[in-house]
Amino acid sequence: MNKALKNPLIFILFVIPALTLFFVFFIYPIFSSIYYSFTSWNGVSDTVKYTGLTNFKKALGDERFWVSVKNNGWFILFSVFIQVPLIVFFSLLIANVKKLKGLYKTAVFMPSIMSTAVIGILWGFIYEPNIGLFNKLLGLFGVEPIYWLSDERFAMLSILITNAWQWTGFYIVMVLAAILSIPGELDEAAAIDGATGFQRATRITLPLIVPIISVVIMLSIAGAMKAADIVIVMTKGGPAGSTEVMATYMIKYAITNFKYGYGNTIAVLIFVFTLIVTALYQLLFNRRSERIEY
Amino acid sequence: MPRTLKKSLPHIALLGYLLVVLFPFLFVLFSSVKKDNNSIALNPFGIPKEFVFNNYVEAWVNAKISTYFFNSLYISVLASVVSILLASMFAFAVTRMRQGKWNTILFSLVLIGMLIPNNALMLPIYTIVRKLHILNTHWALIIPYIANAIPFTIIILAAFMRSLPSEIEEAAVMDGLKAPGIFAKIIVPLTVPAMVTVFIVNFLGNWNEFLLANYFLSNDELRTLPVGMVQFRDQYQMNYAQMSAGIVYSVLPVVIIYAVLQEKIIEGVTAGSVKG
Repeated sequence: MNKALKNPLIFILFVIPALTLFFVFFIYPIFSSIYYSFTSWNGVSDTVKYTGLTNFKKALGDERFWVSVKNNGWFILFSVFIQVPLIVFFSLLIANVKKLKGLYKTAVFMPSIMSTAVIGILWGFIYEPNIGLFNKLLGLFGVEPIYWLSDERFAMLSILITNAWQWTGFYIVMVLAAILSIPGELDEAAAIDGATGFQRATRITLPLIVPIISVVIMLSIAGAMKAADIVIVMTKGGPAGSTEVMATYMIKYAITNFKYGYGNTIAVLIFVFTLIVTALYQLLFNRRSERIEY
Repeated sequence: MPRTLKKSLPHIALLGYLLVVLFPFLFVLFSSVKKDNNSIALNPFGIPKEFVFNNYVEAWVNAKISTYFFNSLYISVLASVVSILLASMFAFAVTRMRQGKWNTILFSLVLIGMLIPNNALMLPIYTIVRKLHILNTHWALIIPYIANAIPFTIIILAAFMRSLPSEIEEAAVMDGLKAPGIFAKIIVPLTVPAMVTVFIVNFLGNWNEFLLANYFLSNDELRTLPVGMVQFRDQYQMNYAQMSAGIVYSVLPVVIIYAVLQEKIIEGVTAGSVKG
C-alpha cells in the first residue's frame, strides 16, 4: 500500500534541487579552497600555477597574519572570561525575579536581531571622540577625549565591547530557557531545607546549566572564528592593521589584492584553527557534559 | 526594610543592564532630531529643546533608504521562501518516503553542512558567482542565500516532519494520492508552524547579511540596507544628526517586527543557534 511513497523517481526529483545547491555551495567550495590554497592563482587568469606549501609558509611567517589570529583569540577570551560570567549572572537574576521578567527578556534580546553593520555604525557614533556618548560620559569625570577606534590601544577593545553588547542578550535568553526548564521541585526542596537564594543558585541551578554554558562557549568560539563584518564596519582592520581578524585578512588579500590562491590558504587555515580550538575545548573541558534528565 | 531592599537589588542590577542595552538607541533617537553636531555636543544625553525633523527628510533622500530597503526586502523574502520550498521537499523525501538507507545517507550529508564555517567558503562562492555571470546582479546574493540556509532549514523541518504520525499518509494513500500530492496537500499544511519559525530565522539572516552583499555587488542601485548604510556613513561621516536619522530608518522596521513577533522570533533564533 505504500507504493506511492516508494517511487524512486519522485524521491530523486524531490531531493535533487536542494542537493545540487548543497554540493555547489558547500562541498565543491571546500575542495576548491583546498586546491587553490596550493596555487598562486590571481582569481582571473587562465593559468593556475601550483606552488606547493609556499602560501602556507608565507602565511605562518607573516607577522600580520599572527596579529589577526591573536585578535580572533581576543574574541574568544573576551567572550569566555567576560561575557559568560555576565550571561550566567544576568540569566540567574532574570530567572529569579517575579516581576518584569518578560520585559527584561525582550529588551536584552533586541540587539541580537539587528544587523551587525548597523550596530557597528551606531557604536562608531558612540565612540566618536568629540561628540560620542562614551567620551561625553567620561568627560563628566574629567577624562580627556579618547580616540577609541583610531588608537591602537583601544580599537580592539572597542570592537569587543560592541560585539559583547550585541550578543550577550542572545545567550542570556538561551541560558534563561535552560534555567526555566529545571523542574521547580528541586528549588523548592532546597528552600525547605533552608538553602538561601544564593546557595540555591550556585549549588542547584548552576551545576544543572553547565551543559548549556558549554553550548554558549562553543557558539562563542564559532562566532569568534568567523567575526568579520563588525571589524570591516568599525575599523576596516585599522589602525595600522591592529584590529585585523583572520576573515578580514583573507578578504583583504583575495578580493582587494587579487591574491586568490593566498586567500584560500587563509580560508583553509581558518578551517583548521576552528577545528583545533573546538577539539581542544572538547578535550579539556567538555568530558563530563552528559545529558541531564529530570 | 532590608527585605524590600533585598528584593529590589536584582531589579536594580537588571535595570542597569537594560539601560546599557537601550541607551545607545535613545542616544541615536535623540541625536536624530538635533540640529547638527554642535547641538549634539552641547546636550549629548537629553531630549533636544527644539525638534529638527529635517534630518529624516535629508537622510531619506541622501541615503536612498527606499531603494536599499526594497532591495533588502525582496532579496530576503525571495531567498527565504525558496530555501524553505527546496528544503521542505528534501525533508519530506528523507523523512516520509521509504528509500531505506538513502534517507539516512542524504540527511547525514546535509548535517555536515552545519559544521562548515561559512565565511571561509566566501572566496570559492565568489568565483562560482562570477563564472555564472551573475556577479553584480541580485542573483549573486539570492542564490548563495538560498543555498546557505538549506542545511539548517532541512534539519528543523525534518525534525518536525518526523514527529507527524505515519497514519496520516497511510490514509492519504488509501484515498489515491501520490507522493507529490501527499507532500503538497497533507505534509506542507501541517508543517506551516515550523516553516514560520525557519522563515523568520532565514529572513533575519539574509536581511542582516553584510559580507557577500558588500563584495558581490558594486552597483549602488542594487545595494542592500546594511551595505547602503555603511556607505552612507562613509559619505556623511561629519553629519551625525543626519546619520542618526538613517540609523533610525534601518533599525525601526526590525524593532516593529520584533515588537509584534517577539515570542516567535526568540524561539526561532535560539533554535537556529544549534547551527553555530
